Amino acid sequence: MKNKERAFLNHVAKVLGRDKPLLKPPKRDEVGPPAFWKEQKFEIDEPLEFFKRNLENLTGRVYIAKDSADARQQVNAWLEELKASRVIMWNHEELKKVVDIENQEIKVDYWTANGPKRKMIEAAEQADVGITWADYGIGYTGTLALFSSPIQGRSVSLLPTVHIAILKKENLVPTMSTVMRDIIERRGNNNVPAAIDFITGPSRTSDIEMDLSIGVHGPVKVWVIVLK
Amino acid sequence: MSHNPTLHLRDRAKIAVKDEQMRKAVEKAVDRLSGNRLKAEIEMPSWDEWREQGKRIRKHTVNHLDYYLGQLAESVRSKGGHIYFAQTAAEAREFIIGICKEKNAKLIAKSKSMVTEEIHLNPALEKENMSVIETDLAEYILQLAGETPSHIIVPAIHKNRYQIAELFSAVAGEKVEPDTPSLTAFARKTLREKFMAADIGITGCNFAIADTGAISLVTNEGNARIVTSLPKVLISVMGMERVLPTFEDLEAVLSLLPRHATGQKLTSYISVVNAPRAKDEGDGAEEFHLVIVDNGRSKLLADEEYRQALHCIRCGACFNVCPVYRQIGGHAYGSVYSGPIGAVITPFIQDDFDFWGELAYATTLCGACSAACAVKIPLHDLLINIRRTRVELGLTHPLEKIGFRMWRRIFKIPGRYKFAMKFGSIAQRPFMNDGYIQSGPPPLANWTNSRYFPAAANKTFREIWQER
Repeated sequence: MKNKERAFLNHVAKVLGRDKPLLKPPKRDEVGPPAFWKEQKFEIDEPLEFFKRNLENLTGRVYIAKDSADARQQVNAWLEELKASRVIMWNHEELKKVVDIENQEIKVDYWTANGPKRKMIEAAEQADVGITWADYGIGYTGTLALFSSPIQGRSVSLLPTVHIAILKKENLVPTMSTVMRDIIERRGNNNVPAAIDFITGPSRTSDIEMDLSIGVHGPVKVWVIVLK
Repeated sequence: MSHNPTLHLRDRAKIAVKDEQMRKAVEKAVDRLSGNRLKAEIEMPSWDEWREQGKRIRKHTVNHLDYYLGQLAESVRSKGGHIYFAQTAAEAREFIIGICKEKNAKLIAKSKSMVTEEIHLNPALEKENMSVIETDLAEYILQLAGETPSHIIVPAIHKNRYQIAELFSAVAGEKVEPDTPSLTAFARKTLREKFMAADIGITGCNFAIADTGAISLVTNEGNARIVTSLPKVLISVMGMERVLPTFEDLEAVLSLLPRHATGQKLTSYISVVNAPRAKDEGDGAEEFHLVIVDNGRSKLLADEEYRQALHCIRCGACFNVCPVYRQIGGHAYGSVYSGPIGAVITPFIQDDFDFWGELAYATTLCGACSAACAVKIPLHDLLINIRRTRVELGLTHPLEKIGFRMWRRIFKIPGRYKFAMKFGSIAQRPFMNDGYIQSGPPPLANWTNSRYFPAAANKTFREIWQER
């Protein structure tokens, strides 16, 4: 196997005009987005305005909560509106402080570290609503960034019909650049998550006659509460 | 329509232009996609600077592919992933079948991937009695119809909803209504069951990140997210040029790709898979294999001009502006990759400049593809290069050679030139209509069958000049 790899890389080097593959990083003048993009400045409230407008353009909803109590109330109101009967959420300390489901008839499952894997996936598949705590919101595109971990299961934002995310305002950034820098920093510490998901609105397709259709595989609705 | 056509390009195109329904559908799709791209261009500050930056990043990466592929292999391995380099399509297939057999796989869920089409993976897996299910809605439709993609971004644009409803009804065993919501709902329900049961997930790879060892998948439906999240084993397949040095470069390329493809700021999902799941994680693959495929790409890489085709980020913008693609659609190209970029890379992938080099004539050389390209690949120049390579290889018709030799002899000497012009203006008369030669004798007929040749004037320019 190693021999095959060596032969392959030697061949690539050869057609590029080198005797053997480069082992030292080649010099680069330009990395990532253009300079003007990296240098741009934003007003403090701009990312939130962008985020709200962009996500709403994609049929999403954004509720700006003034405190945890306000957010708690809104989650319950949305669950009522959706007539949810089954919910799955991350077993996340901060999230559990904000989400307190009043309706006793709603069955709530938690995605936990070392939980019963198959059972948790099935619960997510059966759930009407999945609730997550977003690692980042990106204003420029109306995007949520979720990092996987033992308590941050991917299925929770993926398999239920509706995805509700709680996002702290301080984690709302203007562009993707901040998130990429975070990942690069984590790389240095060897703790890049196994999965990083950028989610921009609901699942969609235009595969049938270019006719837009929402919710083909993933959630039909993506609603976000921004916590001030 | 198969990927190994026996008919020549001209005959494939003749069949295609008679398919009114397909042509209408293609026209609608490319106009919509192109229109959206132009809207995105207005909205995005410094569009051209982004494209220039995209070109710089891709050029640097491709020029140092030996380094970045080596780094990628190390990064993937350092986190417990497996990596495999395949020189040919057969090697890639063999390796993938090997893993699937070892895992005793019965059901394999796939997300959209052009490179697995290229290596003809599905039939090979089915031969081994494994079920493969395509989960991208368009790919699922094509799988049921037994057809191949006709566009790299919207693979089933040539099919209308009545045809799709018929296919779905056959699977359902009852009537599925021919409206988009019913069709989508049926696909969601049917494919969900498959996702839950699949043993192995197979994906393509939009871009791998060399310094981290991650792969990224760009989708709107979210099927790639499910394919990478539920099955225990994940196999991702990539053409060897689909790599970027760092996550910062990914941001730059992601700023270009969806905008050029569909006009979206970002697709609904960008799914980054960095490693097998951590020990306590409840979902995500436990085992990750990355297959890197050459299959003719190193031949593109060996030539400094053709190498630029490897900069491609597969946005499909060149398809949507191409006047030839608009008229004949993707299937008439006969190849896995159609459109202008397909016409450039297919002779290399198939290692055949004779049959597949013909695709370099499926162009008007108008340059719209180069102008639309997200990373400024001079596609129409490369198409001319392929024609030149064909001449060098002696693959063009001998009459063409004789014709050009005669042309050179005549144009070199003023007397001959003058005589030829005079002779031409008389000889053309039987074929003339409305100032054009509309039906020439062979071999001129090859030209006049598809376009008019402007007639030579009665008085030449030199004669008019002398009269003054």
